Formats: sequence, C-alpha cells, structure tokens
Amino acid sequence: MNRRIALRHLALISGGLALIPSCDFSSDDILAAYDKLKVTASQKTLLGDISNTIIPAGEIKGALDLEVPDFILVMINDCFTTENQAMFTKGFAAFPDYVKTITGSKFEKLDTKKKEEIIQAGTKLEGGETEEGQTNKAISYFLNTTKRFTIQGYMASEYIQTEVIPYSLIPGEYNGAVLITDLQKPRING
Amino acid sequence: MANLNIRSKQERTYEAIVVGSGISGSWAAKELCDLGVKTLMIERGRNVEHIKDYPTTNMLPYEFPHRGQMPKEVKDANPVVSKCYAFNEDAAHFFVKDAEHPYVQEKPFDWIRGYQVGGKSLLWARQVQRWSDFDFEGPARDGFAVDWPIRYKDIASWYSHVEKFAGVSGNKDGLPQLPDGEFLPGYELNVVEKYFAEQLKKHYGNDRHMISSRCAHIHGNAEYYAQQGRAMCQNRNLCQRGCPFGGYFSSNSSTIPWALKTGNLTLRPDAIVHSVIYDEELGKATGVRIIDAHTKEVEEFYAPVLFINAAALNTNLILLNSTSNRFPNGLGNDNGLLGKYVAFHNYRARVSGEYEGLSEYATSGGRPTSGYFPRFRNVYKQETDFLRGYAAGFSGGRGARADNSGIGMELKESLLNPDQYGPWRVGSHMMGETLPKETNYVALDENLKDPYGMPQLKINIDYDDNDEKMTKDYIEQMTEMFEKAGFTNIQSSDSKQAPGLDIHEMGGVRMGKDPKTSLLNANHQLHAVPNVYVTDGASMTSTSTQNPSLTYMAFAARAAHHAVAESKK
Repeated sequence: MNRRIALRHLALISGGLALIPSCDFSSDDILAAYDKLKVTASQKTLLGDISNTIIPAGEIKGALDLEVPDFILVMINDCFTTENQAMFTKGFAAFPDYVKTITGSKFEKLDTKKKEEIIQAGTKLEGGETEEGQTNKAISYFLNTTKRFTIQGYMASEYIQTEVIPYSLIPGEYNGAVLITDLQKPRING
Repeated sequence: MANLNIRSKQERTYEAIVVGSGISGSWAAKELCDLGVKTLMIERGRNVEHIKDYPTTNMLPYEFPHRGQMPKEVKDANPVVSKCYAFNEDAAHFFVKDAEHPYVQEKPFDWIRGYQVGGKSLLWARQVQRWSDFDFEGPARDGFAVDWPIRYKDIASWYSHVEKFAGVSGNKDGLPQLPDGEFLPGYELNVVEKYFAEQLKKHYGNDRHMISSRCAHIHGNAEYYAQQGRAMCQNRNLCQRGCPFGGYFSSNSSTIPWALKTGNLTLRPDAIVHSVIYDEELGKATGVRIIDAHTKEVEEFYAPVLFINAAALNTNLILLNSTSNRFPNGLGNDNGLLGKYVAFHNYRARVSGEYEGLSEYATSGGRPTSGYFPRFRNVYKQETDFLRGYAAGFSGGRGARADNSGIGMELKESLLNPDQYGPWRVGSHMMGETLPKETNYVALDENLKDPYGMPQLKINIDYDDNDEKMTKDYIEQMTEMFEKAGFTNIQSSDSKQAPGLDIHEMGGVRMGKDPKTSLLNANHQLHAVPNVYVTDGASMTSTSTQNPSLTYMAFAARAAHHAVAESKK
C-alpha cells in the first residue's frame, strides 16, 4: 500500500480528519484524504450541510447519513482536471462570503427554506469578465457540481440500491412496448 | 536475452501451434482439437479462466469507488485506451494500458487491445452479421484492392458451423445483402424501432431495412449450450466484465474450455511471440520463438502447422519480425505488400433525434442488442459519388427519469419516484466500409523497441476523400430518414475520431488469387509458406460494413479443417 492510499484509509477511518484535531479554527486543518483539493475540516462540514440540504433526511436517510460529502470530494479529487478542481475550490472558498453578503448570516445558521433558496439561486448565478463575475461563475460551478454528485452519490449508494430501490443484476426479458400505465410502481415516500 | 531451451525439443513439439487465443485463434484451436490434433495455443497475456477471473462480474454500482468512471491519473497515463467507450472501472483490467505495448503513430491511430487469454472476445460488441457476395465481389466490381479468392458459397456452411456453436440470435429477414443463418430466436425491436422500420418501408419501398441486429447471445433456447456449460443470456448488459452465465460467446466461455476438454489443447499464456521460425532447407516454417512475459527468456516451440491469429496488427507485427535469408522483409513477403492495404471501419458519424408519438409506451427489462441497418448504398450498382457504403446501428429508448431541478424534500421525492417520460430518444451510428490502400500501412520501426525488445509497430493509416463523402452521405441520408419518420430535434455529429477506435482494423496480410499481389491464398495459407495460416483480421482483402468477428470465426474453422485435410494427404 503506498503512502497516499494509507493516508486515505486513515482519513476515512478517522472521519476524514487525518491530522491531529486542533481547537484553533484560525488554522483550520487541511484534510489529507483529498490531497488535490486542500479542503479543511470546517469546509467539509459545510459541504455536508449543503448536500444534506439538497437531499435531506426524513423517513428515508439523507445525503449526510450516506456520507455523500466523501463521495463528492473523492470524485473531484480523483476524476477532475486541475482547472475544474481549481474552479470548484474557488467557488467553495467563496461560498461562505456569498451567503453572508446576501443573508447577513452564516449558511449553517439559516433555516432550511433559506438554505434551499440560496443554493438554488447560486446554481443559476451568471459569470462575467469582472472579478465578481469570475467568482459568481465559480460559485455556480461549485454548487452545480455538488448537486450533481450529491444526486449521483445518493442514488448510487449501497443503502438506496439495497434497501430503497434494490438494484437488479438481472433485469428480466425485454418488453419493447409496455404501457406506461402498467409500469406504475407504488410510490416511495421521499 | 538468455536462450533457455531447457526442455527437450520433443517436449516442445506439437502437431499444431495457434498464436493468439481471441476469437479467431480460439476457433482454430477448437476445430483442430476436435479433429484430434495436439495443439499448443500461445497467448501473450495472462490466463483468464471463465468465471473465476471475472472479478467485477457481480459487483453492484456502489462497489465501484468512482461509480464506473476512470480516475484522471489513469486517463492521463493512458490517452489512447481511455478513448474506448468500454474502458471503465468495471472492465479496465481487460484492456492493454498504453505503456505496456508502445507503438509509433505516424498518423493518429487509437490501437485498442486486450492481451489475455480470450483476448478481445471478452470485450467485443457481439454483433454478428454475415457477409454476402455483394461484399466479396466488391473489390472486383469497383476496382479497388484485389479480388477476393473466395465467394459466399465457400464460406456459407462455415458460417452455419460457427453460428450454431457460438449461439447467434436473429430473425430470418430474407435480405440478399445480409444472408440469414442458423439463428436462435431473435430479440424484439421495441415499438419505436418497429415504427421506424415501417416508415422506411413506406418511404423507400424495399430498398432500406432496419432489423433486429444478430448477436452472439443465447436466447430462447439454451439446451444445446449446456454441453458447453453455458446458459441463457440474462439481459444484464454487463458483458464487458465477463459473463458468469456464458450468455454471450467468448473464447473463455466457449471454444477454449471446449478445446481443453478434448485433452488435445495445451495453453501457454504469458508468452509473447517474437517470430516464426523458417527452415530454409525444409522450405517451411517449423515453429515459433517466444519471449516469456515474466522472465523474458526465449523459448522455441515446434509444429508442422502454424496459425498466426494474434489480432490484425499484431499478426502483421509477428510476420514482419520473422526474417530469414529467404524472407529478409518478413515471412512470406516476396512482393513487399506485407503490412500494406490495411483498412478499418468508419464509425465517425451519429444522428440522434426524438419522437413525440407512441407516448403511451415505454420499455422494460433489458436486451443485449438493438436495431441494424444493412447497407443500402451502391449494393446492386454504383449510384453515388463514393464507392461502397455503410451499415448503421439504430436504437430507440424511453424510460422514466427524475426531475432534478428541485431541491430538498421535493427533489428527494422526485428522485425516488421517477415519472418523467419525455419523448422517445432515437439514435444511429454509421459503420462505413473503408478502402484498403497501399498508403495505409504498418511497418516495423527501425529503432524503437517495446519492453520485450520487439520492434515497435509504426502505424500510418488515415481516412481519404471517399470516407469524407460517405460520412457526409450517412448524415444526410439518416437525417432525411429521421425527418420522414417524423422524428424531431434531429442532431448529427462527426467525431472525426482517429482510425483504430472502431477496433475493426483489418488487412496487411490480405488474401488473393495472385502471389504477386497478395499474401494468402484462398485457404488462408501464406502463398510462399503454405504451412502458415492466417485467419484473423489481418487476412481481410476488403472490409465491407459488417462487424467482422463472425467472418474470422468462419475463416478459422474452415482453415483448420483445410490444414488437417492437407496433413493427411
């Protein structure tokens, strides 16, 4: 096992925090598991809050219950180009100030409805040539990426695919003309 | 390199040697073994045993750390193989990584390879359409390449032979350009595909057809295949992982275990064939020289009959590297044409669209195939400003999707209860015949070597004006057909992908009647070294439009029987 994989395992075992926790939040610890992203522990908490706003817990578990933030960061760390990682990281870093400017409060202090509104509005931010435009573009990119991977990580999780909508390795014989009215399944309460 | 022929020559002598364990090699070996010939099959890659060596076959989507996607580090290190549609987390272990076998791209060429027992038969798209005389007579009629030395009547019974054993599902469509075969029940076209087929009939009469594509899957009746240990296709569509049911034909599930059961097959994986040994006194080939993949030691194996089925370009590489005083430019290469007249299939263009009709229907379950558009251009006579034509794939689909636009409980409810149907989506991709030309060639690089000390292959293959015209025609014609069928939102694209990504490279050791202009005779023997047979893609004189694997199977079976008949003379 190479050092990077060892570190990642350690990070996963210890809940993503590979370094010794510090109480001094001014020197927020960088999580070693996502070495290309330089994500801090408090940022990961924020990402958890955002993903859990996108898909909250109810009778059926939510994004945070299924460790979706880990999935999001693994995907961006392992599969994204450097440019897209930089765009994500920039938007991620700018998001708290964006929230503060609009609401006068920190994201985690907002009620659910406000959180939802700010995320939805943020995904639709338009970019531009100015510095503000560039920042808005990054925030929009960060939120859209987070939403996309929240949905993917949630739906393609072991919990959903075994307990909620079991994945079938053997889908059955093809029916190329099935009436949609015959396909209605009992609704699952989200 | 140490030459360690430790074992006695007798221990290293067989009655036949087959180089390559993919679709064509395994068919040659299976036939030889069935006929009682003690056969050595040599494979450069590792052994892959049916079921046992399919590590991902029953993995669930969430068990893949990136849900199938390849990490960027891997993509960056493998720019060539990463372009292949099937190079994903579930099947990456069956593909050759770029650094494992470097080659020289004099022009862009994406060489997609599978080095393991079974070769690319684990990864193929399993489409098996017969050729007809419209294909075999193509070069002679249209004046390109050379005339094929065989016709449909020479190969028809061998198509039947391999179809029956491999398991081919399809319908008897009665089309002269796509002869019917020995079919298991065909897969059903869905309602929008049937609608399109009817529309074609309405607008083009009997000129254009869209049928259920014949595929190498066991469907409808599996009884005969139990003796191979194979069962019905389960519609999983996870074929590239290796199928634990043996639902589709692969060397690993079918021909190789069958040949092993005869007791006549010896399998030697991890052995890179360096060259064919030619004995100048005897005037024939006597064996092959291999490099052990692990120890890099050289060893020789001997047999009176050799099949070189290493996959099209690697067969060229081996023969080019088999030099002697008699053949200084490669085995059997008296005319200097070895490695030349390579061609492929043009898979560049796609057309997609939507259909608002039939909105009460959707599909359920799975199937391993879809629609197939046999060639309709220039079939009976030359009628366009380009030679030959194209086949096309066609499929339509419709399933429930979730509305992802919301957030919170509303989004969650939508994701867990997808009910957005939208219109039917329809799509097509072209499979164009390309013309073999002397200027499309492979050769050995004079300086660069691979990690085993073998010369690297220089690849110089490109599209030409005929391909450009054909691509344009496909887009125009398919767009017109989509319009006539009432499809909307029609979009077309030309990927301009490099040759190679079609994974249908062919030629270089072409068949022909005349030793001055071809390498192989009508029985797949090298004109100049008749105890050497080539029945893989390298032997192709022209490419037609059909997926070629079925034809390689039939060639291999036919040639194996020929070799045995010759040995008894």
